Amino acid sequence: MKTFKIFFIAAFSMLLLGCSDFLDEEVNGALVGNSALSSEEGLEAALTGAYKAWGTTWGSGFLHSTSIAATMGGDDVTTHKASNKASFREFDQFNVSETNQRTQALYTGCYKAIQGANNIIANYENTKGNEEHINTIAGEAYFVRAVSYYWLVRLYGEIPLLTQAEYTDDLLSIGKSSPEEVYALIESDLKMAEEKVPNTKRDAGRPNKGTVKAYLADVYLTEAGWPLKQIDKYALAAAKAKEVIENKETYGFELLPSLAEVFENDPEKNGTRETVFQISTFRGNGSTTNANYGSAAMPGEESGWDDFFAELNFFHDFPEGVRKEVTFRTEFITGNGEVIPWQDSQTGHPYYEKYYIKGDIRTWSSSVPESMMRYAHVLTIYAEAQARATGSPDALAYESINSIRRRAGLEELSGMTGTEFAKAVVQERAWEFAAERTRWFDLVRLEMVKEANANKSPEDLQPLGEITKEDYTFPLPFSETSINDNLK
Amino acid sequence: MRKFLILCTVLLSVQLDMLAQASIEVTGTVTEAETGIPIPGANILEKGTTNGVMTDFDGNYAIEVSENAILEISFIGYASKQIRVNGRNEININMENEASALDEVIVVGYGTQSKKDLTGSISVVSTEDFAQQPVTRVDEVLQGRAAGVQVTQAGGAPGGESRVRIRGANSVLGNNDPLYVIDGYVGADFNMVNPSDIESIQVLKDAASTSIYGSRGANGVVIITTKDGTKGEMQVSYEGNFSVSEVIKKWDVLGAQEFAQIVNERSDALGISPVYTPEEIASYSANGGTDWQDVIFRTAWGQEHKVNVSGGGEKTSYLVSGNYIDRKGIIENSDFKRYGIRSNINSEINDNLTIGVNINATRLENHNTGLRSGTSNPVVQALAWAPTTPVYDENGDYILSDPVGSFTYSPAALLYERNNDNQRNIANIIGNINYKLPVEGLSVDLNYAVNYVNGQGQSFLGNAVSQNNPGASRSSSEQITLQGTNSLNYNRTFNDVHKISAVAVFETQQFTNNYFSSTGNTLLFPSLGYYNLPLAESYSVGSGYTKWSLLSYLGRFNYTYNDKLLASIAVRRDGSSKFSEDNRFSTFPSFALGYVLSEEEFIQNLNVFDHLKLRGSWGKTGSQAINPYATLSAYNTNTPMAFNSGGVTSGIQIGNPGNSNLKWETTSQTDIGLEMQFFDRRLSVEVDYFKKETKDLLLNQALPSYVGGGTQTQNVGEIENKGFEFALSADIFNTELFSWSSNLNVSTVKNKVVSLGGIASRIPQGTGVGAGLSTTSEFMLMPGESLASYWGLEYLGTWKPGQEEEASRYNAVPGDSRYEDLNDDGTITTDDFQIIGKGIPTTTAGWNNTLAYNNFTLNLFFQGVFGIDKLNYTRGAAMTGSGDARQFILSDIKDRYIPGVNETSDIPAFSNSNVMYTQSSRFVEKGDYIRLKNISLAYELPESFLKETKLRLSLSATNLFTITDYSGIDPESSNIGSATDTAQGIDYGAYPNSKTYTVGLNLTF
Repeated sequence: MKTFKIFFIAAFSMLLLGCSDFLDEEVNGALVGNSALSSEEGLEAALTGAYKAWGTTWGSGFLHSTSIAATMGGDDVTTHKASNKASFREFDQFNVSETNQRTQALYTGCYKAIQGANNIIANYENTKGNEEHINTIAGEAYFVRAVSYYWLVRLYGEIPLLTQAEYTDDLLSIGKSSPEEVYALIESDLKMAEEKVPNTKRDAGRPNKGTVKAYLADVYLTEAGWPLKQIDKYALAAAKAKEVIENKETYGFELLPSLAEVFENDPEKNGTRETVFQISTFRGNGSTTNANYGSAAMPGEESGWDDFFAELNFFHDFPEGVRKEVTFRTEFITGNGEVIPWQDSQTGHPYYEKYYIKGDIRTWSSSVPESMMRYAHVLTIYAEAQARATGSPDALAYESINSIRRRAGLEELSGMTGTEFAKAVVQERAWEFAAERTRWFDLVRLEMVKEANANKSPEDLQPLGEITKEDYTFPLPFSETSINDNLK
Repeated sequence: MRKFLILCTVLLSVQLDMLAQASIEVTGTVTEAETGIPIPGANILEKGTTNGVMTDFDGNYAIEVSENAILEISFIGYASKQIRVNGRNEININMENEASALDEVIVVGYGTQSKKDLTGSISVVSTEDFAQQPVTRVDEVLQGRAAGVQVTQAGGAPGGESRVRIRGANSVLGNNDPLYVIDGYVGADFNMVNPSDIESIQVLKDAASTSIYGSRGANGVVIITTKDGTKGEMQVSYEGNFSVSEVIKKWDVLGAQEFAQIVNERSDALGISPVYTPEEIASYSANGGTDWQDVIFRTAWGQEHKVNVSGGGEKTSYLVSGNYIDRKGIIENSDFKRYGIRSNINSEINDNLTIGVNINATRLENHNTGLRSGTSNPVVQALAWAPTTPVYDENGDYILSDPVGSFTYSPAALLYERNNDNQRNIANIIGNINYKLPVEGLSVDLNYAVNYVNGQGQSFLGNAVSQNNPGASRSSSEQITLQGTNSLNYNRTFNDVHKISAVAVFETQQFTNNYFSSTGNTLLFPSLGYYNLPLAESYSVGSGYTKWSLLSYLGRFNYTYNDKLLASIAVRRDGSSKFSEDNRFSTFPSFALGYVLSEEEFIQNLNVFDHLKLRGSWGKTGSQAINPYATLSAYNTNTPMAFNSGGVTSGIQIGNPGNSNLKWETTSQTDIGLEMQFFDRRLSVEVDYFKKETKDLLLNQALPSYVGGGTQTQNVGEIENKGFEFALSADIFNTELFSWSSNLNVSTVKNKVVSLGGIASRIPQGTGVGAGLSTTSEFMLMPGESLASYWGLEYLGTWKPGQEEEASRYNAVPGDSRYEDLNDDGTITTDDFQIIGKGIPTTTAGWNNTLAYNNFTLNLFFQGVFGIDKLNYTRGAAMTGSGDARQFILSDIKDRYIPGVNETSDIPAFSNSNVMYTQSSRFVEKGDYIRLKNISLAYELPESFLKETKLRLSLSATNLFTITDYSGIDPESSNIGSATDTAQGIDYGAYPNSKTYTVGLNLTF
């Protein structure tokens, strides 16, 4: 009997524990497979994930001084000569290594966004729900993909071009695509987005139809310059920019009357009407905090990090007036209230006040929206493109550039040839968008990098070696070339 | 046929002989030889029959046997005895304690075996090995005491992380921690055992021993058996100690005045304006500055109390023990507490049925003892903050930012405004039924266990360490493991020469994990800490669930012929829910042979060996390197994005692509061992050679960013570990008055990545530890190299006068750093990176000495580690002004290259053209050390002094001195815990081990 009892216990436990589905996986809480995108909500979540790649604090994208570092080859920004800024200096000195962690963050962010967009583009037609909503999501996805590729192609030149989301082994050996191929996709994506995205932004951190058109105009302008040099694109750029300007009320865009308001950087405000596109941020979540404003732009005297500040000759040449005042910080207030003029500061440079948080709060984390394109930008695209396309600036071109100059406290332009005018607009862009990641790309597309850097103050960091076209793009990150030999 | 006839005749005559014997009654008492204490419950068996009795409560027995019978006396923990009756009516029997006996019983997986029958390689750590030392955890017990086991106390905090490796590391992806088996529960957390409750520890090393644990055996197995109650009168013992700890050493840093001067010298050299005025420097000279190391380090107190109650009646024994530890860390505001209670109860229901229940409950409370990386690490910041910056401002608040030194938070603020607490509650219940079946030698053993781990975490970031954005979070997790083990055991000796022991087991385990967490961001009332999360501007939450199960069949068959030839076969078949159906089951076999040469006459005639055994084994094991659901492609779901300035929206991103073809990684191991005993067994030597080859190595193939980044897990690659183990134990003196016993063990492991399966010629392994210091991943997996190989530039010192031309090729001048330009292309790039050291040791050794004189016992325990390099990022950051550091703070900077003054130094000059890489051989240092891990002196009061009470007083010191060339505080500590072996040895302000003095008292009555 006792033996029976023991065997009963043993047999019972085997039944209990060893039933046939004992080894089947129970997937609770994990989101698996493409069915995730079959609902509107799932598709929207995937779109959020795509944007997220642009805005992961420290990790990837634009919410830290990385994207400013990448444009330090311009004559508007430089960095600390010592401190811990080696990876920043590489850009300013035209010595970018493939292991530079700054470009990595941009690169990773853009491609992760592309992956998310690819996934939506491949699946949205099968999503069930409100068609208009789904269409909007798809339109934003095309926009995200286009803008990501636009950054990548300008920073790296030849890059891998992917339109599929799911991973397959053969992707590990694909080669690089030419800028022509990349720009072709960017154009067609923006045209898709133009159709699908509504006139009104769903949220401050999303595009509307005007945003898409503005980017398309910007893309055309770039295509007209180096490396594609498709001169006929100037006319397209002007036409597209004009569509935005003519419909600015529809899109809610405006050139704010006061520059102080443009650079107010109020974390409480959800951007301004001058914003064509921004990446919204929220300090309450560690991965959505904006770390590009505040400390990164502030000098050591103000407990800042000295990440980026103005080049000396750029500052000296900058036209006096209200714009110069709001753009630069020339006196620093130390912790114990001492006021130090920039000339006496540790780095001996003026800093960019336009990256200070409202109230000069000494912090690196804020909810200030990351400005990606301002309406002023659209105006200058029109002005330059129209002048270059036709050879003679029209009234709208003059009005576009002069509205910006008036606001800056400068005299209006008049009576110029097309070439003179275009040159003046490019220079105006340098002042207006100082440290706003514009100057570098202008110098590249117009092949002026060497010329602009020849004007460097001897006090500033100097290029290491001669600047060549090789320096117009950066090497693909080591994380890519070390895995895929075809990218070398 | 003729032989058969003879055999039959012999057997028959034996039978007849027995029938012819007259039977007599034999009585007597069974006592313990050493103490004379009676042993109740000892088995007395008439040999060759089933006739047997048991001793009563006073150790008395009476048995009816034939005149010429042989009595077999046995009792657990004592050496069995055989005594010929020879017509005697009274036989008193002394039983020898097993430990002192030749034939030690070794606990092996799913059974026991006598040491002499063993064919596998097993290290035994017994209570005596650590009785004289203040150990609080199993890893401390294992450190230096078992050949083939490497233990590194990576986190020096009390309750901090340690790393235990048996015969090297086999897995890149998986955890290389050994499998801990406590009282039959497989996969236990060693933290739940109080060392005083340990009866013995067996470390299973070769495949013959570990293959019985199949897919979890590859990293070796540590079997811990806890004490059972001692039958008899209740015994109470108390053990208590008080300790005081301090940091082993401090960094040699610049004083405020020197620092200010050097900062100005640097500014001068770089062409920027001076930071300090001459008046300020003069004032530092007069008033001094802040010694940040004094701010963070302290003298720390600790106490430990243990009570143990044991006893039992004729049938039932019990042991109830409790322990409490409270230890402060040597870094301010860090401490550890442990509470534990254990109850082991065993009852013999009748001759054939035994049941037992072991219950353990442990609570561990860690307060700021975790491993911290750069920005948030007070040690790093103490070497980054300027000595010219005070700790507090006029109002007594922390100074929040350092104008000269570090970019980030004050070390003081990091200590007090940043809290990380976690508590683990472990409950483990094991029920056991053993039943002897009515077939001789056959028994069934049913073992059921429930293990419940509840983890609670709390963290808080105050204003001063969060940019005035205070946050707090809480997390809760539970892991429930159910285990059922049903085994059938068969042990029998036929014809006195054929000893057979066999076991067959069916086992299941099911693991369920659940967690959730919540975070409050921008707390409205930071003073409420993590206690009132809703009072915050925004929140985030997380939750998750995993479940997996393992179903196994296993068996082992051991055969011993005439105590001379030994053979063993074991096999386990494991099925795991982690894999897709086709790869679900795998088989892990092993074979072993042993040859006891000392049983052969020709060896005996040599008169050298008391014991000589040659053994060899081969087998396969697996390791659990795969997470549940790794075969599936899941979305990452923790990806919130802001679209407005007021909050976030939840998003999803495509996660790592799954791989449905995943299977176990398998380790084949060959072991050859030689066991020797000399000089009346006073000297024992055991030597082993092993070779482990891990195939189908699981590697995360890094995916390039353009496909979305992340990794895919694949079965590729191969790793090899081979080495020697040498263990020696000697009773050098053994007299009544004075004794000296010594144990020495030395082990070597040579680890080599054999292949990466062609997925890459090398795979970088980052740690994140050196954020801001590293140019690229600090470690590289590369065929032909060891795991944890450092990847960096070879530092060639500084450019010297006369090398201007060569230096100019690198835009450098004399005094600047010079690195090896591997491809000689005139620039220093990633192409010039190479292997510059390795972070895991080749050789470890332990030497334990116990000297006794009268009632004094002196213990000296040395531990050594050799063949290891450390990547000293602490020094790197403090000597290059990188990471969060802006200046140079170590005194060494005074010896730098100064043009025209000191042109021989290899510490680079302050220069605009100098490019420094922390990830270079300049900061790779030898991490070898020999350490006096313990010295203790104990005095036991003479028995006459206190009747029936034993009292022992002891004084000990841990880590009293360390011989090492390592320039950091502690060569043993590192920033990487136990989780991985591909990235070991970085020290970036790692929590150092402490020097601890302990006074203890031990009372038994």
